[in-house]
Amino acid sequence: MKVEDIVELLREDRPRVSSGFIHVWAVFWANFKIFLSYRTWVVMETISTVASIAMYSFMGLQVDARRMALAGYEGVNWLSFALIGVATANYLWMCISRLSHALQHEIREGTLEPIVSSLIDMKAYIIGQSLRGFLVSGYFMTGVLIVGIYILKAQLFISLETMVSFIAVIILMIVSYIGIGIIAAGLILVYKKGDPLTFLFATITEFLGGVLFPLKYLEDIPVLYFLAWLMPYTYALDACRKIMLTGATILSPQVSWNIFILIVYAFVFIPIGLRVFRWGLNRIRYEGTVSTY
Amino acid sequence: MNIEKLIHILSEDIPRRRTSTYRIILSFIVRDFKVWWTYKFWLILDIVGVVIFIVTYYLFSFITTSQHVQDAGYSVGGYFTFALIGISFQHYVHFAVQTINESIRDEQWNGTLETILSTATDFKIFLLGEVCFSFIVSSTLLLMSLLIGMLLGAEFYTTLSSIISVIILTMLLIASHMDIGILSTGVIMKVKQGSPVTWAFSWLSQLVSGVFYPLKLLPWYLEWLGKAFPLTYSLDGIRRCLQSAEDLSSPVVLSNILYLSIFILIATPIALYVFKIGYDSARRDGSLGQY
Amino acid sequence: MVDYAVETIDLTKIFESKEDGIKRIVRAVDHVNIKVKKGEFFGLLGPNGAGKTTLIKMLCTIILPTEGTAKVNGYDIIRESVKVRSSIGWFHGETGGRSLYWRLNAEDNLRFYAYLQNVPKDVAEKRIDALLEFFDLTKDRKKLVKDYSTGMKVRVMLARALLHNPPILLMDEPTIGLDTVSAVETRNLLKALNKELGKTIVFTSHNMFEVEQLCERIAIMKNGRIIVDAHPSVLRDMLRDIRAVEVEVRNVDNIDRLRSVLSSIDVVNRIVEVKNDPIAISVRLQVDDEYEAIHIIADRLYSYGFKLSSIRRSEPSLEDIFVKLAREGAV
Repeated sequence: MKVEDIVELLREDRPRVSSGFIHVWAVFWANFKIFLSYRTWVVMETISTVASIAMYSFMGLQVDARRMALAGYEGVNWLSFALIGVATANYLWMCISRLSHALQHEIREGTLEPIVSSLIDMKAYIIGQSLRGFLVSGYFMTGVLIVGIYILKAQLFISLETMVSFIAVIILMIVSYIGIGIIAAGLILVYKKGDPLTFLFATITEFLGGVLFPLKYLEDIPVLYFLAWLMPYTYALDACRKIMLTGATILSPQVSWNIFILIVYAFVFIPIGLRVFRWGLNRIRYEGTVSTY
Repeated sequence: MNIEKLIHILSEDIPRRRTSTYRIILSFIVRDFKVWWTYKFWLILDIVGVVIFIVTYYLFSFITTSQHVQDAGYSVGGYFTFALIGISFQHYVHFAVQTINESIRDEQWNGTLETILSTATDFKIFLLGEVCFSFIVSSTLLLMSLLIGMLLGAEFYTTLSSIISVIILTMLLIASHMDIGILSTGVIMKVKQGSPVTWAFSWLSQLVSGVFYPLKLLPWYLEWLGKAFPLTYSLDGIRRCLQSAEDLSSPVVLSNILYLSIFILIATPIALYVFKIGYDSARRDGSLGQY
Repeated sequence: MVDYAVETIDLTKIFESKEDGIKRIVRAVDHVNIKVKKGEFFGLLGPNGAGKTTLIKMLCTIILPTEGTAKVNGYDIIRESVKVRSSIGWFHGETGGRSLYWRLNAEDNLRFYAYLQNVPKDVAEKRIDALLEFFDLTKDRKKLVKDYSTGMKVRVMLARALLHNPPILLMDEPTIGLDTVSAVETRNLLKALNKELGKTIVFTSHNMFEVEQLCERIAIMKNGRIIVDAHPSVLRDMLRDIRAVEVEVRNVDNIDRLRSVLSSIDVVNRIVEVKNDPIAISVRLQVDDEYEAIHIIADRLYSYGFKLSSIRRSEPSLEDIFVKLAREGAV
């Protein structure tokens, strides 16, 4: 290939077509490919996820069914209870941290500058990265549930209605948190590191949301109990348990309040998140530190 | 500083003596402390993480029966004390293994490993220096988590003889896991990847060493697998001392100590040998500074 | 009215940083006014740290100016950043191969940016094939970029800048990480794109000869300011005027004495630079006739007992130009 050939090739110019959809796809596709290049990590992570589920099943052998019943989970097997908790908590954590992790990488590798100078709208970037997050964490969640249901024989209500409702609540949970994820990402753009904070956030969410124990037992500590019900995750987990452990659906009255709260959080946080993100991006453009680590 | 001044300073040459091992190790500790201090935030996070973990199991203990724990021979304190000991000590050793790996990897990453190894320091002392600081930090965290547990209502037998036995068991626990850390570091140097050894060891021992449940609850094959892990023997010994007032005079505790000692006797030379292989091979292909 | 491809209006970037509590202000780009005509091959010359990269990054909309603004392809870089981005192809050589996804192969990297630049799929594939072949990467196209040499990474980045066929190319040190052959190829390609397709090219470099050969107009930047903005013939004239000799003297115990001896020689116009190296001191001198000067300087140094280890005619450097301009009061 010679200089003339390149010139000839570039002589015929076709108009470029702007498409947000293609931008989202490109971000998703490239990052998914990068994810697949970490094969050892995927295998190791899968095995340890399965091992941790096995651990919960042994822990469950020590649980007193009467005390579960006292907390409002009459006849519910603790393993099933914990399985839903662990699956949703892991899913949430992986999804929400996705954007911050990705941005930290892009800053460190210097790839953020060419992205910013290209035609992509940052919203498309956020959606593309999040989609990649949904899919990868979805893989782990499905793994957890399959091992739980088929190998450890957790008793869940499995029907088309409950599955659809469960997925719907998971999506709502993510939507209610994505604003927070975007806020974290916006802060990471500026301060370049935020892992400690997101880690703290995840630990507290997992604890207060009642992943391993019924929240009833938190009532003795009113401050924590109050904080627990401030988090959208608590509502999402509660709804998921009502669906998978008692056979409710998304249309049942006992989950409607939870759904309402999740939607409210989404409406509050997404606009704030986008604003913080835009502020962060403009600030690093002003400081000239788009790829400074 | 102009050249003349510098030359003047260097001109008074004091003959070099061998720095004592203890000073070298001390300088490592001071250095690590200074680096660590710049990450003050991580310290708070470590503490918050431990506290939250303990409180989680405190609340979990409300829905458990202590029947299985008592059946296993740990008579006092019930499930919460049982889990507290498991969590605290498992964190403790996990920390030990992890820090050796991480500190070597960080040194490799920052390119400081080559510099340190080019000084006149023996690599065994170097390793010791690397772990000393994390040993101090993790011991503090261990004491703190036991204290928090006591505030939440964990009960221990704290007689002089049981505490001495626990200290001995803890030292053996750390020594045995140090070997694993050194071994996997050797592997890291050779294969230049996050070590699957540490990783597999960490989740397997959590699963089969009885951190969260008595081993009797496991199916027989996992129970047997558990017998291969030093953590299993240490946890059993420590729990017997703190939950059933046993001490070195108890044959079970003694047999735990014996097992751990044998493990260390066998594992230490192997670990140092593997480390040396990794280290030499990294020096041969000049990849000490690479990651 | 002339249509400018790039027009900066008092473009200024001030960086503030805090070091040990002391505020430091760096004027990276200081009231720069340049106008680049459509289809022009424009060279921006300057030593490292002159502000070239900051200027280019502002034109790419990655850095927002502190003051002033610029128009790229007629669009304002602050208010119409998306339109600016669709008009430019940016290359940044200094990153040395950062800024690519190391865990993707070359074609996937290019494909990703083709999508982001709204290039239709079939066109993108055709261009990726051609550019990879041109940059001699065809046989490694499926290899992950992390296994590439720096030169190969730089070539992928060059291909990326051309992929969407933009009317304006902002090439920041495009030949910095390349071997001689690829550097020549790249220069030829840029020249052809400019000649045949009328692309506007802004080309930065600290290599005078490269810029002088390629560009139709040259600006020289120093400490954030444009100190010369002229036709390359002006630079060429300046270069022709400059005759330089480099002298290397060993075992000097008094540099000032060497200086005073050298400046007392009639044929020496001025001392440009003194490099104090432990092995030898090398001094750069401007003279009128280098061949005559070499003999005179050598004789004189010998007679004063200096140990002259080498003396030779030297190509003019950026430093010479700065000294010359300073003397003429242009800076």
